[in-house]
Amino acid sequence: MSSATAIARSPALPFVLGVGTLVVALAILELVVSLGLVNPFVMPMPTEVFAALPRLIVEEHAFQRFLLTATEALTAGLLVAIVGIAAGALLYRFVLLRQATETWVAAAASAPTVLLYPLFLVIFGRNSATIVAMGFVAGLAPIILKTLEGLCTTRSVLINVGRSFNLTPSQQFRKILFPAALPTIFVGLRIGLIFTMLNIVGVEFLINFGGLGQLINEMADRYDIPGTYAAILFVVLVSVLVFILIERLERWLRPE
Amino acid sequence: MDATAAATASATKSGTERSAAAPDPILSVDRLVKRFDTREGLVTAVDGLSLTVAKGEFVGVIGPSGCGKSTLFNVIGGLIEADEGTVTVAGQPVNGPHPAIGMLFQDESTFPWRTVIDNVAFPLEIAHVPKAERHDRARHFVRLVGLDGFEKRYPAELSGGMRQRVSMARTLAAQPEIMLMDEPFAALDEQTRLLLGDKLLQIQQELRQTTLLITHSITEAVQLSDRILVMTYRPGKVKRMVTIELPRPRSSEIVSSDEFGHYVARIWSDLREEATKGLRDDEAHLLRGQHP
Amino acid sequence: MAETGVTTTQVREPARPFVQPVTLLRIALIVGILALWEALSWSGLLFRDVVPSLLAIGRALIDTFADAGFYFHLYTTTYEIALAMLIGGLSGLVVGLLLGGSPLLSKAYEVYLYYLGPCPKIIFFPLMLLWFGVGPGSKIAMGAISCFFPIALNTAGGMREIDRIFIRVGRSFRANTWQMVTKIYLPAMRYPVINGIRLGLGVALIGTLLAETKLSNRGMGFLVIQAYEFFRMPEMYALLIILFVIAIGANALIGRMGGIATIKRA
Repeated sequence: MSSATAIARSPALPFVLGVGTLVVALAILELVVSLGLVNPFVMPMPTEVFAALPRLIVEEHAFQRFLLTATEALTAGLLVAIVGIAAGALLYRFVLLRQATETWVAAAASAPTVLLYPLFLVIFGRNSATIVAMGFVAGLAPIILKTLEGLCTTRSVLINVGRSFNLTPSQQFRKILFPAALPTIFVGLRIGLIFTMLNIVGVEFLINFGGLGQLINEMADRYDIPGTYAAILFVVLVSVLVFILIERLERWLRPE
Repeated sequence: MDATAAATASATKSGTERSAAAPDPILSVDRLVKRFDTREGLVTAVDGLSLTVAKGEFVGVIGPSGCGKSTLFNVIGGLIEADEGTVTVAGQPVNGPHPAIGMLFQDESTFPWRTVIDNVAFPLEIAHVPKAERHDRARHFVRLVGLDGFEKRYPAELSGGMRQRVSMARTLAAQPEIMLMDEPFAALDEQTRLLLGDKLLQIQQELRQTTLLITHSITEAVQLSDRILVMTYRPGKVKRMVTIELPRPRSSEIVSSDEFGHYVARIWSDLREEATKGLRDDEAHLLRGQHP
Repeated sequence: MAETGVTTTQVREPARPFVQPVTLLRIALIVGILALWEALSWSGLLFRDVVPSLLAIGRALIDTFADAGFYFHLYTTTYEIALAMLIGGLSGLVVGLLLGGSPLLSKAYEVYLYYLGPCPKIIFFPLMLLWFGVGPGSKIAMGAISCFFPIALNTAGGMREIDRIFIRVGRSFRANTWQMVTKIYLPAMRYPVINGIRLGLGVALIGTLLAETKLSNRGMGFLVIQAYEFFRMPEMYALLIILFVIAIGANALIGRMGGIATIKRA
């Protein structure tokens, strides 16, 4: 193999290419801004943005804000998981209800629920309740649908095994249907929790209240441009981390 | 009986000499070599294979699984490059898909999003044939493969055999000098194969289309071909060139004749040797925990 | 019949109910929810007008459709979303084609798209304001970056799933790059691409509208936040109903074009 093909085949190349492009882009940006070709008010130098990060953490209590957002997210997440799975199980149990409402729930899954935030502001006021409620509403439909799907698509042979052992409906549900549906339910939880998280940060920004979302808003209101960029960067990094964590969690809970 | 047996014997004996002397060949493959880089190292799929195909000829290529038939198909068609040796078609060297070569693949290849007529018109579209002319010409080939009436249907509405006919019509519509076919009937059942073989004979008769057919079915090869190239197991070389002197025009009834049986037996005895080598090789690979 | 000595038994079909039970239940549920709503509205349990009477909402809907100004705002939002889809969609398509076609590029860059995808895009709005000003530009940009990601990711994934045989057929007929893209790649991946567009439209809608609610003086989002600020609740409900109907309708329409159920494919 020639050295060219060796490089082209090395598993490190894509990673280097990706990261390298990023670094080069930032370097070019740095150069362009420092030369005055771009208004630093609109686009500050990347180094300034990175310098603002520690300021965010220390002066603006970025981690405390993160904890606040996390608390809201966890609360909403727990609520939506319990209610969503229960509702999905309910729909499974009552076939007529399922047939009547399944298309409605599917439609709700594609609906722009976040647009309801002005309404929730009126109902709950400008506080954490609105944020948690918005997060709850955002993640509900996918969880219900996936729970329903998981229960409905249990292989009939497993159900027959349960029937052959004369299990009561409650036992049938607890010992066969629910465990069999878990993988699909976890997919639903992943989708739903991501929607919840996404909406919570978004609504925090929109109503200028809460943790990380509000931080961005504050920085923008103060015309602290490097701070705004830094806050957005911080939130992006946090959201990416959380996304990776949820993926890992799902994979760990679904050994297949 | 004796005469035919003698004719068969002489044909197969002098077969190898005869192939090299094919007058004014449309296709000329000269000492083709193709190797592949696999996990187990460099594997030679085709090793110094030469063959010629004259205008109007129907040449069958037969060999055991793994003998490099599909590699040969892909190299002649210009989809992959040879390591050594040359491929010349209509006097020009092949180093990419050539307009004089039409390819018919083994896999299901009709475009599911196009109707039958639009599928067949595809090569004409690529060649920027004006729209009005396109459909007329395509319709001619749809009729040729016996699918008139189905022009506006989608492939999903047709059977497997009909879909292969659409693919065939599509390749023919490009009016290539030579048609390459890689086991086009492999996915079909025996009866459909025989009937499509009939169809192919009819088309060949009408168009005098030069054809190179790659197959693993001896009966199919003998039924359709003027000459048959028997390949060795990997690395693929010419084991034997057999001239099929069955009268033309042929039909599927030919499979019940004695001469047919003799040709099949002759070719099978060559093939069996190579196929056994292939089987032993597979077993050895599996024992070593490798892919066959 | 009697003479032949052969008795013909006719199978009686079970009498089909005039109205299916499912439909009955649906009607019952809708009526029940509306009745509950109206009761809540009259009870005065909640702060006035948080749950306005259905009549008030109905009147607000009529007033909205009768108001010429409404159509101006509707047009603004539609125009913003359309441009956002055009910009975000085309660039998403191109990037998706590039990433899907090259394993190297895909392994290098797609991971960034994948992990940036679920990030809430509205937080980028201050940057959009800085770069594109206070006018429609920032809203269009918001919609564009929102819809870019699902379209790019779905296109890239769709490209990789194309059956290789189609590509071989195209090459064997010596199609040039443009012909390969328009006659083979795009048709072969129409379903993933349409799904990407459906998702993209959904998030473009959200992105644009949220941007309008945050900082704008026109558009549907602006109308909603205005209704909030002046506490014109029936009007807010009317506007939200209109928005939801449009969003769900557009999603269903595109979904039908692509022949796919919504979240079940996730």
